[in-house]
Amino acid sequence: MTPVAGGYALNLALGFSLFSIISVFWFHYNKDARLYFTAQRLVLGSCLLVGFATFVLAAELINSNFDIDYVAHYTSLETPAVYKLTALWAGQEGSLLFWLFILSIYAGTVVIQNQRRNVNLMPWVLVVLSVVMGFFLVLTNFVANPFAPTDADFQVMNGNGLNPLLQNATMAIHPPTLYLGYIGFTVPFAFAIAALISGDTGSLWIRSVRRWTLVTWMFLSIGIILGGWWAYQELGWGGYWAWDPVENASFMPWLTGTAFIHSILIQEKRDMLKTWNMVLIILTFSLVIFGTFLTRSGVMSSVHSFSASSLGPLFLGFVFFLLASSFALLAWRYSSLKSDSKIQSISSRESGFVFNNVLFVVLCFAVFWGTMFPVLTEAVQGTKITVGPPFFNQIVTPLALALLLLTGVGPLLVWRKTSKTSFYKNFPIPIFIGLTAAIVLIIIGFGSSVVMTASLSAFVLAAIMLEFGKGMQIRKTKLGETYSASLMHMISRNRSRYGGYIAHVGIVIMFLGFTGKAFDQEAEWGLRKGEEGHLAGYRFSLVQLSEAERPNHYAWIAEISVEDIGGEKVTSLHPEKRVYFHNNPNPDRRQPHSELDIHSTFRRDIYSVLSAVDTESGTAFMKIMINPLVRLVWIGGIILVFGTLISLWPRKEAN
Amino acid sequence: MAGISGVLMEQRNKIFLAVSGIVFVALFWIFRISTEADAQDALMISFLSLENIEDAGDRRVRLGGIVDPGSIVIQKENLLDCNFTLAQGSFKVPVHYTQVRPDLFKDEAEVIVTGQYVNGVFEADELQTKCASRYEGDLRNESSYQLEDLDI
Repeated sequence: MTPVAGGYALNLALGFSLFSIISVFWFHYNKDARLYFTAQRLVLGSCLLVGFATFVLAAELINSNFDIDYVAHYTSLETPAVYKLTALWAGQEGSLLFWLFILSIYAGTVVIQNQRRNVNLMPWVLVVLSVVMGFFLVLTNFVANPFAPTDADFQVMNGNGLNPLLQNATMAIHPPTLYLGYIGFTVPFAFAIAALISGDTGSLWIRSVRRWTLVTWMFLSIGIILGGWWAYQELGWGGYWAWDPVENASFMPWLTGTAFIHSILIQEKRDMLKTWNMVLIILTFSLVIFGTFLTRSGVMSSVHSFSASSLGPLFLGFVFFLLASSFALLAWRYSSLKSDSKIQSISSRESGFVFNNVLFVVLCFAVFWGTMFPVLTEAVQGTKITVGPPFFNQIVTPLALALLLLTGVGPLLVWRKTSKTSFYKNFPIPIFIGLTAAIVLIIIGFGSSVVMTASLSAFVLAAIMLEFGKGMQIRKTKLGETYSASLMHMISRNRSRYGGYIAHVGIVIMFLGFTGKAFDQEAEWGLRKGEEGHLAGYRFSLVQLSEAERPNHYAWIAEISVEDIGGEKVTSLHPEKRVYFHNNPNPDRRQPHSELDIHSTFRRDIYSVLSAVDTESGTAFMKIMINPLVRLVWIGGIILVFGTLISLWPRKEAN
Repeated sequence: MAGISGVLMEQRNKIFLAVSGIVFVALFWIFRISTEADAQDALMISFLSLENIEDAGDRRVRLGGIVDPGSIVIQKENLLDCNFTLAQGSFKVPVHYTQVRPDLFKDEAEVIVTGQYVNGVFEADELQTKCASRYEGDLRNESSYQLEDLDI
C-alpha cells in the first residue's frame, strides 16, 4: 500500500506544480490576491507531497521491501541501516527524488519566508520554482520512477546491496551537501527571472538572494571538498581531483557562482554590473542542469556517470529551454538593466572585481572546453579525443594563478580610484613579502610552478594580514582597545568583509596544498613477512599478514612498519583487503574492497593500499605513496567554510 | 564636465581593453594547447573503438568496453600481473595490465583502459572501472548459485 502512496504523492505533486503556475498567470491577469495565495499553497502542498514520497521510499529502503525495484537494486538484508538510508541517493531514480526533496525544502522555505514580502517578485518566483519542480516531477513520474515494482520473474529474497565504496561516512554526507549546493542555485535564479519578468530589475532581488546564494555556494564548496576527501580516502589512487567530467560538472557552477557572489557586492554597493549579474546566475543555474545532464546521459566516458538512459535528451532540452527563455527575457529587459553608475578608474576596486569575474568565467569556459573536448572532436573529426589532468593543468594553472594574484590585489585597491598615495601605502609590503618568498624558493631550488604559487600565496596572505592589521590599529588608536579585542570587534562589525578575507586565506592554503602534487612519489611491491621496500627515504617492511571475519566482510590485514632513514619508527600502517558479502552464495555479489591506511602529517601523507594477497606464499601486494602537503588542502577547505560562516552570521542589529 | 566625462570614457576604454586582452589571451592559450601538434601526444589521447584498434599504431590510445566473462587471468607469481579480454560487441582485444586493479574490476565490468597496442596485445598502463554510482547489476535468483571458494 505505502509504495503506491509514494507514487500517488508524486502524481499529485506534479498536478499541484502545474496548477500553481496556472494560478499565477491567472492572478497576473485578474489581480485577485486569492489566486496568488492559492499558488503559494499549491507550491507548499507540492513540497509536502514530495517530502512524503521521499519518506515512503526511505521507509521502504529501511524495511528492505524488495518488491520495489530500486530497493532491490541498492540494498540487501546485510546492508547496515544507516547505509540503507543513504541508498536513497545511490541510484538514478532515488537521487532524482532526493533532488526534488531538497528543492522542495528550499521552495517551501522561500514561500514561508516571503508569504507577504516581495509581492512584486514572488508570483514569478513561484512560477520558476514550479517549472523546475515540475521538470523533476515529470522525470520521477514517467521516466525514472523510484517506486517501480521489481520486474524479476522470481521472488527476490535479497537485494544487490550497496556498493562498499558508498558505505563510508563521507559518502553519506558528500552527495547531500553537493545537492544542497547545486539545487540551492534554483532560488537566486528564480528571483533573477522574476525580476526580469516583473521589470523590477533594481537591487531588490539581489538583496533577497545574497544570503541564499552564499549558503548555497558554501554547501557546493563543502560538497566538492568532501568529494575530494572521499576519493582520497576510499578509491586508492592517491589523489583527490582527476578532472573527471562529473567532477568538472560540479566545479563549473562553482566557478560562475563564485563570480556571482563577488559581483553582486558591486551591484549592492555601487549599483553596477546589473546585466552581468543576470548573465552569471543564468549561466550558473544552466550549468547545474547541464552538469546533471553530463552525469545522467552517459554522453561522457566518466568513471562516475550513471548508466546511459533516456534522461539525457530531456536534461539537454531543459538546459536549452532555460538558456533560450532566460536570455530572451534578458534581451527584453536590457534597457532597464543599464546603470547610471560607471567604473571611474581601472585602478579601482570595482575594476578588480570585474577582472576577477572575467577570469572566473574564462576559467569556467576552459573547464567546459576540456570536458566537452571528446564530444566536440568526435563531432568534427569523427574520432573522440580525450583529455586528462595534464591538459587541464596546463590550461587552468595560469588562469588560476592570475585569480590568486587578484585575490591579493583586490583588498589593496580603493573604491572608485586607487590614488598613487594609496598605492605606495598599500602595495610595497605584500610585494616585498611575495618577492622575498620567490627568491628564497628559487635559492632552495624549487621549480617555477611552486615558486609562482608560493610567492603569490605569500603576497595574498600579506595583503590580507595588512588589511586586518590596519583595521586593528585604527581601533586600537581611536578606541584604546587591545589587539585581540579590536580583532574580534572589527570582524563582528563587518562580518561580510572579514569573513570573505578569511575564506580567501582558506583558498590560499588550499593552493599551497595543491603544489604538493608535484612531489608525489609512489611504489608497488609484493612483500612477504620480514621483506622490505624503500621509498622517499622511508623503509617499509611487512610485519605480518592476518585475517579477520567481520559481520559483512572478510578481511586480510597487512601490518607495515614504516621507519625513516635513521631507522627511527615513524608509524605502523594497517591497510586491508576486504571481500564484502563473502558469505553470499552468489559470487557476483561478493565485492572486493581495499581499505586504505594513511599516516597524515602537515608535511606529507604516507598512503598505503593493500592491492592483493597471495595466501599460499603469504605475499602482500601493496602500493605506497608519499603525498606532500595534502593536509593543507583539507585545512584550507575548513578555513574557507569558516570564513563563509562568519560572512553569513547575522548581525545583532538584524536579530 | 566634458573633461570629467572624457577622463571617465578613457578609463572605461582602458578597462574594456584590459578585459578584452584577458579574454583574448586566455582563448588563444586554450586554442594553442588544444591544437598544438607537439602537445597532442602528451595531453590528448584518442578514444578508439575496438574495431579501429589497428589504427592506433604506436600511439598511446584509450579503449572502452566490457571485461569478457571468464577472460581474467592473474599470474600466480605476481598477483598484479593480469591479462583479460576487452569486448565491444563482437570485437575483442587482449589486454595486459600490471598495476593495482580497481576494486570494481571483474567479469562484465565496464572499463576504460589507456596504453599502447603492441604485437596484438593492448599493454595498458591505466585501468578505470565505472565507479560507485554504476553499481547497477541485474537482479539474480540466488537459488541458482552454489557456494564457491572465496577469491580475491
